[in-house]
Amino acid sequence: MAFAASSSSAATARYSAQSDLAFRIPSNPPKFAPYISGHTPPISCKMAATAVDKELNAEALQRPDAFGRFGRFGGKYVPETLMAALTELEAAFNSLATDHEFQSGVGLVFVSRKELDGILKDYVGRDSPLYFAERLTEHYKRHDGTGPHVYLKREDLNHTGAHKINNAVAQALLAKRLGKKRIIAETGAGQHGVATATVCARFGLECIIYMGAQDMERQALNVFRMRLLGAEVRAVHSGTATLKDATSEAIRDWVTNVETTHYILGSVAGPHPYPMMVREFHKVIGQETRKQALEKWGGKPDVIVACIGGGSNAMGIFHEFVEDEDVRLIGVEAAGFGLDSGKHAATLTKGEIGVLHGAMSYLLQDEDGQIIEPHSISAGLDYPGVGPEHSFLKDLGRAEYHSITDEEALEAFKRLSRLEGIIPALETSHALAYLEKLCPTLPDGTKVVLNCSGRGDKDVNTAINYLKL
Amino acid sequence: MNLQALSLHHAISFPSLNPNNSTRLGFRLPSHRGFKIASVMSPQHTWTQTWKTDVLHLIDETEESLFKTGKFGRFGGVFVPETLVTCLNMLLSEFSFCLNDPHFQGELATALRDYVGRETPLYFAQRLTDHYNNGRGEGPEIYLKREDLNHGGAHKINNAIAQAMLAKRMGRRSIVAATGAGQHGVATAAACAKLDMECTIIMGDVDVARQSHNVRLMKLLGAQVKSIKGSFKDATSEAIREWVGDLERKYYLAGTAVGPHPCPAMVREFQSVIGKETRKQAMEKWGGKPDVLVACVGSGSNALGLFHEFVRDEDVRLIGVEAAGTGIDGGTHSATLAKGEIGVYHGAMTYLLQDDEGQIVGPHSVGVGLEYPGVSPELSFLRDIGRAEIHTVTDEEALDAYALLCRLEGICPALEASHALAHLGKLCSTLPSGTKVVVNCSGRGDKDIETVFKHQQQKSSGELISF
Repeated sequence: MAFAASSSSAATARYSAQSDLAFRIPSNPPKFAPYISGHTPPISCKMAATAVDKELNAEALQRPDAFGRFGRFGGKYVPETLMAALTELEAAFNSLATDHEFQSGVGLVFVSRKELDGILKDYVGRDSPLYFAERLTEHYKRHDGTGPHVYLKREDLNHTGAHKINNAVAQALLAKRLGKKRIIAETGAGQHGVATATVCARFGLECIIYMGAQDMERQALNVFRMRLLGAEVRAVHSGTATLKDATSEAIRDWVTNVETTHYILGSVAGPHPYPMMVREFHKVIGQETRKQALEKWGGKPDVIVACIGGGSNAMGIFHEFVEDEDVRLIGVEAAGFGLDSGKHAATLTKGEIGVLHGAMSYLLQDEDGQIIEPHSISAGLDYPGVGPEHSFLKDLGRAEYHSITDEEALEAFKRLSRLEGIIPALETSHALAYLEKLCPTLPDGTKVVLNCSGRGDKDVNTAINYLKL
Repeated sequence: MNLQALSLHHAISFPSLNPNNSTRLGFRLPSHRGFKIASVMSPQHTWTQTWKTDVLHLIDETEESLFKTGKFGRFGGVFVPETLVTCLNMLLSEFSFCLNDPHFQGELATALRDYVGRETPLYFAQRLTDHYNNGRGEGPEIYLKREDLNHGGAHKINNAIAQAMLAKRMGRRSIVAATGAGQHGVATAAACAKLDMECTIIMGDVDVARQSHNVRLMKLLGAQVKSIKGSFKDATSEAIREWVGDLERKYYLAGTAVGPHPCPAMVREFQSVIGKETRKQAMEKWGGKPDVLVACVGSGSNALGLFHEFVRDEDVRLIGVEAAGTGIDGGTHSATLAKGEIGVYHGAMTYLLQDDEGQIVGPHSVGVGLEYPGVSPELSFLRDIGRAEIHTVTDEEALDAYALLCRLEGICPALEASHALAHLGKLCSTLPSGTKVVVNCSGRGDKDIETVFKHQQQKSSGELISF
């Protein structure tokens, strides 16, 4: 492992090849020199002694910078063998921006823009609607008849029923362009696995999905579904045999087979360029929202709410509006059994800074820097880390992060089903539950857009026991 | 007992009706016993100019008189008890009004766009097209109309939301519907939740047991699910009974294009958005029309939804695919148009699966949504005049088609839609290269994954798939 940290004695760092990478860094961050062997000479980097000035305009800060950092978060904390692949990936992603056939507007553009747009439209089913939730709005009306207007961005209507597919199709296309014929991915409950297997079937790519053995037992039908789609599902028995172990195993596979293999990471976590790339592939959500908001009420959203697991659906809708200071960004994490129970996945609320799966970010870790097993009733939020960009936005004060318990999420699940006839994913239900706390505080006519990141057919069995239907 | 009332609950075979018409339609009308209807329209059948003119003429005539008479040729009609006639007339006039009311149409368009998620894409299935190529890269081009992407996962919602809006407008407070596979029940429950209407879904106990997931969905959406003895046909009868018992408050939401006029016309009209979009999308994509349309047929709503727009386009072939179940000869199936006889059922004259005593034969298909012993009177008409071709596909073939589309396109189709897809196996080799084929992918197959799983387990000699 090519990483050396010189630090003050207050810092404790421990890495073993067998466990997940996790570092506990004290609140006064030390100076340290990340040593990246291979292609680039050692770079010394002076970290800010104090937290970033909140008055700093987000615009002035690059998201990410040339090293893949969002402020002090992000980066590329990976084994040497992966550096080449990451560099190649980033180069491919960036260089295609200069390909005049595919250029569009300002900023980073995608592989084969026309092809990707066609797939998003005809295969995924985009644009997804911005739906005015009349009965939900009515529910939040106060006695005097005032209240916010609630809109749902319908990512639940996408092919495969969640936002995940946006990133999966784009990455599969990117992989094809790179000449990689083998795709690997990790999955927890199976949503990302199914999305990956789906696109591999569509593009005729070999597909291997790593899944914790425990998760495989709980999600037998999703496993079958992936196999039906032509993917190979490999059981991971190490650690707690859940998502984080599957992720580590997938990274190990990638290290071994990096020449032929592309790793489709499911969220805005992981080493650079993944957080940036996955965000880029999901930003269509926010872009459409801006356009639709303009069409519907001639303005912008006032508040945007999204659930946070790894953070991809939230970045997807936030990104477009990060530089619009008048748009409030609210992320909602899983408080599981409660923040004080120790059984939750509220990384940004309760976590500490460290390095997990190649990126520096907030994460749930114990005194020894070992990952705490998170808990949420919704598998998709059950991740002990969070995308580095969210950590950055939190520290900057640009976005607010709250949390919602399992019980509150289940109530919200039932509420949307009864009021709008839309069964939301349990993940999304966390964002919906937060409306109970948010809406009473909002002035009349405030435009709230909630990212309805997935549908909840998959969660009916889980919910049914609690809801006693 | 009153004949009309009887017809709601039992099939009635009639001796030849309208003898004057029989020569015009060109074939002998059946007697009420032992007549086997010619099952398949020959694909090689050539359309003579006179025949085309005749057919178009018939179609036009039918469309003109449809609202008044409720008849599609000799099919359709209003075979109901007196008590229902007034109600149906009111429904008809309300429906006619809505068709021309810009306010209703505007609201419906918004609901279809923002709630249902329309337009649904017309997706070019490259890998499926390659699969059916002859090895020299020649073959038809296959497009899928993605009704699987609708809210609720099937085409059913198009009709459910429109009719629920119509019911609300009519001042009805409570919706009652019957469902077999559960898709229509779920769509209706969703629409009722959105529109704040009471919802009762009636389901046969046979179906409640095997569609438990959909039952849970309906309850979650706030509907009351009533279980009665029997299957879909019994549930339909019970739903109509409930409606008749409380005509002021209740609205019977028909899920498919069967039943007394105006139900078939209404359902077809609300589903016809599928075909209208297809025409526009085909023009955008290849500057022309589809050459062949393929859709599965249970009672016929998704098929009519796709076909209706093109019924007058004689250069567009219309192919309906029914369920041959475990075998069209000697097995249990649901191939009403292929194997049925004419009779009256649930208020309409149509083809239906009945035995010699006029008792309904219980249909079977692995695609539960295709299990209906009757069929839309309009489809019966289109088939009789030779406008639509009817084929059948077995359970096995449908299950194979399910797996094929998963593997080639990453789309899991509903087992019902898999019947249409399975027919491509026989169809494609007969088509010239470049023929544009549009298959109605009428629903997604998440609901069927367990069935497919069990089937695959059985196939591998009962060995459990180990993880």
